[in-house]
Amino acid sequence: MANTEPAAIELRRLTFQYPNGRLALGEITCSIPTGERIAVVGPSGAGKSTLLMHLNGLLPAPPITSDDRAQVFIQGTTVTRQRLRDIRRQVGFLFQDPDDQLFCPTVRDDVAFGPLNLGLSREEVMSRVEAGLAAVGMADCSTRNPSELSTGERKRVCLAGILACQPAILVLDEPTSNLDPRARRQLLEILRAFQGTLVVATHDLDFVIELCTRVLVLESGKVQADGATERILSDPLIMDRYGLEVPWRLRKP
Amino acid sequence: MVVDSRSSKQSLFQPLPGGIKLLMALAMILAAGLIPLENWPAHGLLIGMIYIGLSIAGVTTGYLLRRLALFMPMLLVFGLSAPAVRSDGAAWSWTISLWLRCTVSFLAGLWLIHVLPFRELLITLRRWRCPAVLIAMLGFMYRYTFILWDELHRLQNARAARDFGSGPWWRTWSTNSQMIGLLLLRAMERAERTHRAMLARGWDGSVRFLESDE
Repeated sequence: MANTEPAAIELRRLTFQYPNGRLALGEITCSIPTGERIAVVGPSGAGKSTLLMHLNGLLPAPPITSDDRAQVFIQGTTVTRQRLRDIRRQVGFLFQDPDDQLFCPTVRDDVAFGPLNLGLSREEVMSRVEAGLAAVGMADCSTRNPSELSTGERKRVCLAGILACQPAILVLDEPTSNLDPRARRQLLEILRAFQGTLVVATHDLDFVIELCTRVLVLESGKVQADGATERILSDPLIMDRYGLEVPWRLRKP
Repeated sequence: MVVDSRSSKQSLFQPLPGGIKLLMALAMILAAGLIPLENWPAHGLLIGMIYIGLSIAGVTTGYLLRRLALFMPMLLVFGLSAPAVRSDGAAWSWTISLWLRCTVSFLAGLWLIHVLPFRELLITLRRWRCPAVLIAMLGFMYRYTFILWDELHRLQNARAARDFGSGPWWRTWSTNSQMIGLLLLRAMERAERTHRAMLARGWDGSVRFLESDE
């Protein structure tokens, strides 16, 4: 029997051009089933972050208003201005720099920001804040100023703020940047426990091997390769051509 | 830089509700404005009370003098603007009145910083029905003061790493002014990214607060 459930994310000839005329994404077509963990890799300037921002409706700005022009579908729903609230409820976005995402005086206030915007009751918000902080191991830091935390701790708090919204899809932009090995390991464990769909843009290919089952190689705004993690990342031709390197653990002796 | 570190110290004032502490500070400032200039004993009593309050809050005389040293020069210069134009008694009365009242207000603010954590201040302002947008802006300002301070430190370190001598004063001024301009640009870029992050978490322009149970 055919699977009639819509894909978690579907891109149909997604094209995006910046105001200065630079083509950032060129007719990207891709389908990501529910529950899949996919990594978007490629050289700097390939369009990874631009692609991710389309999944949460941050791009294009201003958002499109017509279903006919829709190019991004989340759980079968077009990403248009009218549906942005629902889309952002379903798609959680973790930015590369935690200081861009932590803007409240205390950790608890920041984690509560998303649930408050969902219109939940105070009790529900508090419950989600506690659950979110517990999920990332920061339950004892709720009253602290984010500026007092290390980079890894800030990133975990950012993740708590997203998990508190209970998204079905998690999108992460360079999640391991500036993290020491311990913080990286902690982040990996938290993401492994996440049950939904995961899309990660990263240069950390070892992280990809440990977390993702599928890899999308992007260059110059186009998909150059798409397939199973080990097959793509162990292919030296693909890696060399698109400015990447075969990770050590996949290199043949 | 930890702006709020002082208010975490325990003193007699800490257990008081935030509203009471804020009212006390405002009362001091109001008193300084309402006491007639000629009533020197009342001014002296007010300043004495504030000094005692600062001591109880854990502010040492040395710390107080260092803070006054930052504030007073500007106040002195501004206060002398009137006598510089009109050398009569009225101008000097205005100047002394300005020095006195501004100093009391400054000391009252210093006391408030030491007894009222910033988050508690925001909660108090919400209870007093201050505009939500103003409170949100204060919260953001507080958070981003730390970030900009760190950014400034990074710029200073980067400059120091390639500064092989202080050089003429005009060159230092030129570098410093460029750094300030760069800091402004980076602040604007960060504001855009922060706005994007807020939108990504469902923000629709409305200000909402988590009502605290503290």
